Amino acid sequence: MPALGLAALLKQPLAIAVVAIFALLVAGELLSPGFASPRQIVTLLTIAALLGVVAAGQNLVILGGREGIDLSVGGIISFAAFLAGNIMQQQDAYLAQALLIVLSVSFLIGLVTGLGVTWLRIPPLVMTLGMLGVVQGGLVLLTRGVPSGRAAPTLSRIVSEPIVFGLPGILFIWIVVGVVLTLVLRRTAFGFNVYAIGTNEPAAALAGVPVRRTRALLFALSGLLSGLTGILLLGYTEYVFVGAGDQYMLPSIIAVVIGGTSLAGGSGGYVGTMAGAIVLVLLQSILTTLNIPPFGRQIVFGITLLGLMLLYGRQRRLRG
Amino acid sequence: MRATAASRFSTQRHPYLMAAVVFLVLCAVNAILQPTFLRFGVAASNVAAFLPMALVAVGQTYVVLASDIDLSAGAVVSLVNVVVVSIIDGMGGTGTSMALGLVTGLALGLLCGAVNGLCVAFLRFQPIVTTFATGIVFAGFALWVLPQAGRQVPPDLYLTYAGSLLGVPTVLWILAAAIAFAALVARTRFYQALRATGGNMQAAYQTGVPVARVRLGAYTISGLFAALAALALVGETASGDPLIGGALTLSSVTAVVLGGTALRGCVGGVAGSILGAFILGLISNVIFFAQLPFEWQGLIQGLIILAALAGGVVMARGRQD
Amino acid sequence: MPVLEASGVRKQFGGVVALAGAQFALEVGEVHALIGSNGCGKSTLCKIIAGSVAADAGSLLLDGRAVSFAGPRQAAAAGIGVFYQELSLIREMTVAENILLGREPRGRAGMLDRDALEAAAAAALAQFDDVLGAGVHPRARVADLSADQSQLVEILKVLAAGPRILIFDEATAALDRNQVSAVFQRIRALKGEGRSVIFITHRMDEVFEIADRVTVMRNGATVLTCALAQITRDELVGTMVGGAVARAGRDRRHVPSEEIALEVENLSAAKLAGVSFKLRRGEIVGLGGLHGQGQSELLRALFGATPLRGGAVRVAGQPLDPRGPRAVMRRSIAYVSGDRGRYGVMAIRPIFENLVISLLARDRRWTVARQRLEREVGPFIERLKLKFSSLRAAVSELSGGNQQKVVLGRWLATRPGVLLLDDPTKGIDIQTKEDLYATMDELCGQGVAILLHSSDDEELLAVADRVLVFNGGQVMGELSGEQRTRFALYQAAYASKHPA
Repeated sequence: MPALGLAALLKQPLAIAVVAIFALLVAGELLSPGFASPRQIVTLLTIAALLGVVAAGQNLVILGGREGIDLSVGGIISFAAFLAGNIMQQQDAYLAQALLIVLSVSFLIGLVTGLGVTWLRIPPLVMTLGMLGVVQGGLVLLTRGVPSGRAAPTLSRIVSEPIVFGLPGILFIWIVVGVVLTLVLRRTAFGFNVYAIGTNEPAAALAGVPVRRTRALLFALSGLLSGLTGILLLGYTEYVFVGAGDQYMLPSIIAVVIGGTSLAGGSGGYVGTMAGAIVLVLLQSILTTLNIPPFGRQIVFGITLLGLMLLYGRQRRLRG
Repeated sequence: MRATAASRFSTQRHPYLMAAVVFLVLCAVNAILQPTFLRFGVAASNVAAFLPMALVAVGQTYVVLASDIDLSAGAVVSLVNVVVVSIIDGMGGTGTSMALGLVTGLALGLLCGAVNGLCVAFLRFQPIVTTFATGIVFAGFALWVLPQAGRQVPPDLYLTYAGSLLGVPTVLWILAAAIAFAALVARTRFYQALRATGGNMQAAYQTGVPVARVRLGAYTISGLFAALAALALVGETASGDPLIGGALTLSSVTAVVLGGTALRGCVGGVAGSILGAFILGLISNVIFFAQLPFEWQGLIQGLIILAALAGGVVMARGRQD
Repeated sequence: MPVLEASGVRKQFGGVVALAGAQFALEVGEVHALIGSNGCGKSTLCKIIAGSVAADAGSLLLDGRAVSFAGPRQAAAAGIGVFYQELSLIREMTVAENILLGREPRGRAGMLDRDALEAAAAAALAQFDDVLGAGVHPRARVADLSADQSQLVEILKVLAAGPRILIFDEATAALDRNQVSAVFQRIRALKGEGRSVIFITHRMDEVFEIADRVTVMRNGATVLTCALAQITRDELVGTMVGGAVARAGRDRRHVPSEEIALEVENLSAAKLAGVSFKLRRGEIVGLGGLHGQGQSELLRALFGATPLRGGAVRVAGQPLDPRGPRAVMRRSIAYVSGDRGRYGVMAIRPIFENLVISLLARDRRWTVARQRLEREVGPFIERLKLKFSSLRAAVSELSGGNQQKVVLGRWLATRPGVLLLDDPTKGIDIQTKEDLYATMDELCGQGVAILLHSSDDEELLAVADRVLVFNGGQVMGELSGEQRTRFALYQAAYASKHPA
């Protein structure tokens, strides 16, 4: 019978993350009054939402096991933002078109990655690394180095402007992503298959699970979610910036780790990752607030991450 | 009872063979596109350009053979680069300063490697995220030491690097030294222990292999070679740049895979990684000299590298279940 | 004075008590068998002696002095050598590199001497010269060796270190009779050299053949230690389970029908050289013969886990192309592996997930209707007498026997017409085995056809209606009715055996 004592509950990654969130909010408010004001919190949550959506894709890939990781997410975000902006050209009329095309293309990019991982059995680290180069190269080809494109007004409105309770649409979109993803993982055969292949692939194959199809789909979905992040990012910033997505790759992995998903695959869920994304954004924000120069922020960030590894990232002892 | 011996020249016994073939093909293509390619001076300058990546790849190889990975290598290069340049420039560019800079640089590389090794091998952190994290920290320190590219080193240094010793270009000496080191290490018990650790860590442990120490050793070597690469870059660029190592990390992993070393460990070796690094460099050359339209270069390079990575993985696979 | 003495050893893995005060003493120059049903703690005790697991409490005396090993290195330095059940070979390295791992001979300046390495390995291999078979030499990759060859190399690796105390944990699992004899010869030589051996095995024959004394463990504690001359087989088995137990499957109620459930014609694959037979509904056909002669390969090939090279398969008269497990399971065929850790359970996932996964896959269901699924698998959980705390608990919390029941339950829920059992009772306690035999009988009564491979000859001969005897990937003979004796089995197994 799984232990349900308070002590055991508190050791769950999700619980720790929630505690960390409150601790960081309190610390932030003490260091810089106004840090935890409603408006600030909304801004922070908006940024967390952007990270949260791409982390959802990363989460899926990691759950599938076999050293699953997606290093190409940043490139796809930049690509998607650029593509969407150029199709929309600040016109609402093209919004639906842009969404359809960009999401399909992102899905296809992820699918190619997935096929390389499953059919050619190229390790995900290598395959996504290669795809990153290809996507970035493709982006240079399309942009010729000059960023262009603008978000449709409706998109910007949905993303940034308050809809209900002063909360912008992006937060609702994030919640929808969270609900859908959690339902898929817990209540569909696909979800069961994902956990199965992440836990023990040969046993899953012998149990009749469509291993290759499932894993390829995970990468395709990661691509899709990165594409969605790119579109949302475009809505947030309105203009397209060069390398807009690059800064999301590493934090997406970290958010998943904080959330309690094992890097070995087969255990963990998205709710933890959502909390992880919030923790990360709060941490980055505090570091900025403290007026620490960029290099200092980097150092603290890295050390914090190492500290997190101490909590979550330790692997099995060789000695029983 | 089925059991076969791999033939003497199979890719199982020599996983770098495919890389060697690709390397030769690329040399031929390069020679066609750039007629001066095979001239000694041009060849030497190519080696000089590819050397830093080759050195980082050599260090990375040891870590990968143990089934780990070092994603902080590029950051170590940056850090050592700026520290060495700062010491040399800060102390007036004298011979002492150069010696001190050299020693400090190497020591720093070893230290960074040891930090990685302690976290991964003794604290048992997961290698990918951990070396990402230490990489961030090292890169941060690099920015602290030298926020902007700059500083200078005395002409003696970069002229020596670009020049020759006893008639052989300095860069070739450095490459030869790296190869000699690798050849020596390959004949130690440590190397066998390293491969065993990568092949099956639990089995190696049960056999009495000092797994943690071996992994630490591999990361320390990786740090050392990153430092060497940094020194080479000091010789090459004659100044410091906190961002110089940026792309080297992922390039080193690419080079290692291209060379036939398997990410899962045990299979492969340094020879392949050096070839892999040179292959990457030659691909860049070929694309440049083929005079493809500028905007297409990135994409084509990406596609070629992706194809080559796939090939490298297939080669390293050997016969698996 | 015993050369090794363990007392009061306790060990807990999470919530599971593996050892509850175990006692063990090894005399100099003896072969001491350590037996017990699955989960009794014998492997854990040996791992503690070998230093790869740390005890929670208790003492370990070596030559009368208390010792505590920080890891396998220290135990090895103290003269303890271990053959691990899961093998500790590095597959991508050569035979020579594996045998001398950590003790490679060095030449000038401390550099590895490859020639000496290979010579030493060749000398070691010579000890088992006539039983190793083709293709085993110092430069061969372990990955290229067969299971029995790998096992012999592992034994040589243990011997090469020259330990005073050797622990053999299921060291003969994949070996044939000749190989086992060669190993026993070596063990007797070790005794003569004053070395001591702890021998863990599931095979009673071997216990009586090689051991001087025996210790029986049950539920993490020692229940009996005595000389083998003073006890009978049945008494020993009785001590292991704590009461007399009726032997396997004597009580058969099913009668095979005439309808053909599965027909195999000239099937060839890796290690299969043209196998043909018919399987009737309600029948249990056993696959017997020496180890690794194609029995497992047949089952895996039929299930689509390995590719076919030729031949035809028909299920209820209709042709089947076994492209993969998903295609095969849709024709009502199920496969259960004996290696449940690797091919059976998703250990960290809940029991519920493990039970319904194949049902979801076969029916191509999209959603998980929890209550409906619980109702569907419920009856099978009961029939199998699965012991568990909650469906949400992880499978890893279950005992080995119950884990195997989960895998079986997963497939029974799909109501298969043909059941392929690949050594399902390997490493399972006696009570669970009895439960499984009863289930098999019941299934046959309902018309299910079963193809059974077992590494336990007695079990095979008792349970199966007919036994197909394999050799070299072919069926050499068939035993039915009164012919089902071990004598007939081995006679057929050795018939027209070609030199390798």
